[in-house]
Amino acid sequence: MSFDAQPIVFSEALIAWLVTAGGLLLLILGVSFLSALSQGNSGLKMFSSEAGGVLSDLISLSPRRIWALSKLTFIEAYRRKALAVFVVFALLFMFAGWFMGGGDGDITNDQVKVYVSFVLRAISWLTLPMALVLSSFGIPEDIRVRSLHTVVTKPARRLEIVIGRVLGFALIGTLVLSVMSVVGWIWIVREIPAKAQEMLVCRVPVKGDLTFIDRNGVPAEKGINTGDIVDFRSYIEGATKARAIWTFSGVGENSLDAEGNLNLENQFFAFRSYKGDMNHQLLYDFQFRNPEKKISFTTNPMEMGEFRGVRNKVPRKLERPGDDKTYDLIKDFVTSKGTLTVEVSCIDREQYLGMARPDLFIRLPDRSFAAGYFKAVLGIELMMILVILISVCSSTFLKGPIAALLTFVLLILGGEDSHKFMDQLVTGRSKENTEVLDQQVKQLEAAYVEAMKMPEGNEKDTAVQAARKQLEVKRNKLQTIKDGFKGGGFFESIYRIYTHMNDTTELPEGNPAMTIMVKVDDRLTGFLWLCKQIIPRLATFNNMSEYVANGFDVPWDSALLPCVLITLGYLLPCILLGYFALRVRELESK
Amino acid sequence: MSQSGQSSESVIEIRNLGKVYRDFWGRPKVKAVNALSLDVRKGEVFGLLGPNGSGKTTTLKLLLGLLFPSEGEIKILGKSAADVAKNERIGYLPEESYLYRFLNAYETLDFYGRLFDMPASVRKERSEKLLDQVKLAPQARHRQLKEYSKGMTRRIGVAQALINDPDLVMLDEPTSGLDPLGNRDMKDLILDLKKQGKTVLMCSHLLADVQDVCDRIAILYGGELKVMGRVDELLKAQDETQILSSKLTPEAIKEVEAVLKKHGANVLKVDQPTANLEDLFLKTVQESRDRPGHRTVKEGAKS
Repeated sequence: MSFDAQPIVFSEALIAWLVTAGGLLLLILGVSFLSALSQGNSGLKMFSSEAGGVLSDLISLSPRRIWALSKLTFIEAYRRKALAVFVVFALLFMFAGWFMGGGDGDITNDQVKVYVSFVLRAISWLTLPMALVLSSFGIPEDIRVRSLHTVVTKPARRLEIVIGRVLGFALIGTLVLSVMSVVGWIWIVREIPAKAQEMLVCRVPVKGDLTFIDRNGVPAEKGINTGDIVDFRSYIEGATKARAIWTFSGVGENSLDAEGNLNLENQFFAFRSYKGDMNHQLLYDFQFRNPEKKISFTTNPMEMGEFRGVRNKVPRKLERPGDDKTYDLIKDFVTSKGTLTVEVSCIDREQYLGMARPDLFIRLPDRSFAAGYFKAVLGIELMMILVILISVCSSTFLKGPIAALLTFVLLILGGEDSHKFMDQLVTGRSKENTEVLDQQVKQLEAAYVEAMKMPEGNEKDTAVQAARKQLEVKRNKLQTIKDGFKGGGFFESIYRIYTHMNDTTELPEGNPAMTIMVKVDDRLTGFLWLCKQIIPRLATFNNMSEYVANGFDVPWDSALLPCVLITLGYLLPCILLGYFALRVRELESK
Repeated sequence: MSQSGQSSESVIEIRNLGKVYRDFWGRPKVKAVNALSLDVRKGEVFGLLGPNGSGKTTTLKLLLGLLFPSEGEIKILGKSAADVAKNERIGYLPEESYLYRFLNAYETLDFYGRLFDMPASVRKERSEKLLDQVKLAPQARHRQLKEYSKGMTRRIGVAQALINDPDLVMLDEPTSGLDPLGNRDMKDLILDLKKQGKTVLMCSHLLADVQDVCDRIAILYGGELKVMGRVDELLKAQDETQILSSKLTPEAIKEVEAVLKKHGANVLKVDQPTANLEDLFLKTVQESRDRPGHRTVKEGAKS
């Protein structure tokens, strides 16, 4: 896999949501109040009357009316042949097997990945457009043919209409998704030959924290970049002091398998600076180290498995030939805090071993493929609900085609690349002095090295952990600023293009026009930051399918929970915005 | 209580109502309603008349909250027009019966009944009763509304307007597009609602229909109220007298004319009264139903 999702911190996410959603709500209320104020007493009277009406609507919500509206939506979508999407689905799956190989021959992990990816992607690409089209056109069509008039002239609140529509579309989408996912699962299981069924598992990895030591033995943020454009992985040089150090937490007897082995699985990459010995893969070893007891154990060299991964069954009883001392992996190398440190080094001289944090993990007993698969389907369901929320909300103030287009554009902008681009646009204007930050990083590195030299014990552990955290934060900040686009904001960029000024040249000082220009750009950058916060990060949802396709279980804290929170985070604002838009709108406006 | 058993309590109060349609930039385009003030009393059938573009449908939509007034005040059943709670006691038949075409009659009434938080048993009972009342054929009740004729759609439209047994019923062009039979049924229904003590507000430009059922009318033109009052009072010719008698011989007619001249009256017209076309149509249809195959074309009648 080429991503490393971090566990979400709920409190930080909640604060970010409160700031964004709360800020927008205050902005809308403020603008409305000021607008009412400008109309004098009648405006204030109208504002207070509307506020009272909103409160009354919120209090008078009726589950029966909401259910009636959602049932209407469901029946309408069903009778409008929304289920015709199954025809496309059936056609795809009838003929897909012809093009995917398989059969009774040998099958690799990558082929299994193709099958699983195809099914999840097909389901996603069929259900999401269906949900988008249905939900974008629902309310606008109602308004256009005036059937909504017969609803709003009953005691149905606008809020109930919005909620009812969302629920109705979600129900029909869930029905479609459920049928497709079950059929898809059966198809995968039938297409994979019996002897390859064991590949249909969901591995449960326990990931550690990764740090590096460079070839001189100095702690480093990352390993070496051997020229890759994508710097997800970095490399350690063979036969030097360079190490990749994983620290696993929560290790104990329950981390061992039934045979009493610790399963350490890795998917390292290799970079060869010369051809080397073609009879074997690059060699590496593990060194288990307990800083509390000051003992270490190095395993025998092992061959890496390029493009396929290797599962090392490390026995609990560690012994070296010719050495009568034996160690207990759990009792001797797991610290009192339950951490296990594993250092990986490359043995082959002038060859490089590439790794990222997810590339070495403790493999716990596998979960069933079905469990992981249906978690990935849940990810698609959550994304579909998000699409429905955005579409229904935008359809309350836009016509159907425009609402569909807006939702589609937001989906495109929600991709990982777009968010990265927006991050660069927003942070590139940072006023932080990168030279000063560089100095600070160097000071923190020195502090880290000093902490490592302390006598072994709890004090050293605490100092090392604190130093490492501070170093990581500062390095991340510096890197983010360095990655940002230079050259200023909107108006400054236009100025630089017009005057042929490159982006590293400082603007003329003491010029009031320049000052105003920079200040205006800062406000626009703030607006861009707000837009970035509003646009959902959809890579989080897509990652769930990636986990399953690569044979991993979907983790709760770094995959499923973020998706649930993102969807919930959009639920209230979308419904409220849709409600307000429908409430202030004249339904019979010419 | 005033004559015809109507209360003087106002169900609808409109004061100085105005509506200006604006363009995208907020510039005024059309003043659809201008300084309109009127009351609709409890238990009466009130007709809002006017030619196309006079503002009657706009007024109705302002009352229903589908449009927002530019000025003035509206009170319906003591509540503001913007108050959704007032909808508990009103029923509305739109001009074109804009209903959900993919539902059948039962599903339609069930849906609207749920919007009034009615329990299932009540919804079912009222649906059957209303479908019988509006005379929707039993074989049509399970078909989707998109297969209905105009008259059938109108019937189900009336049924949904009455699902909650409202105190105030607003009908927009209720007889529009109906054949004479359907027209008669609609008028009978309106009179029936009146007998039940309900208040009916109807918009129409079909004057004969309004004359048959309304107690009071208001005539709008150019968004302004031009005339308002009781139908019988407004239509009464104040300076003429009509006497209806059984058939008279020519000599008797001459004597009557002489008596009238003696008293200083001008004889304006002596003629046999004619039934209206609607009555003839209904009579013919009824006779055809009672005696199939029978023709009533007079002997020697020329086309």
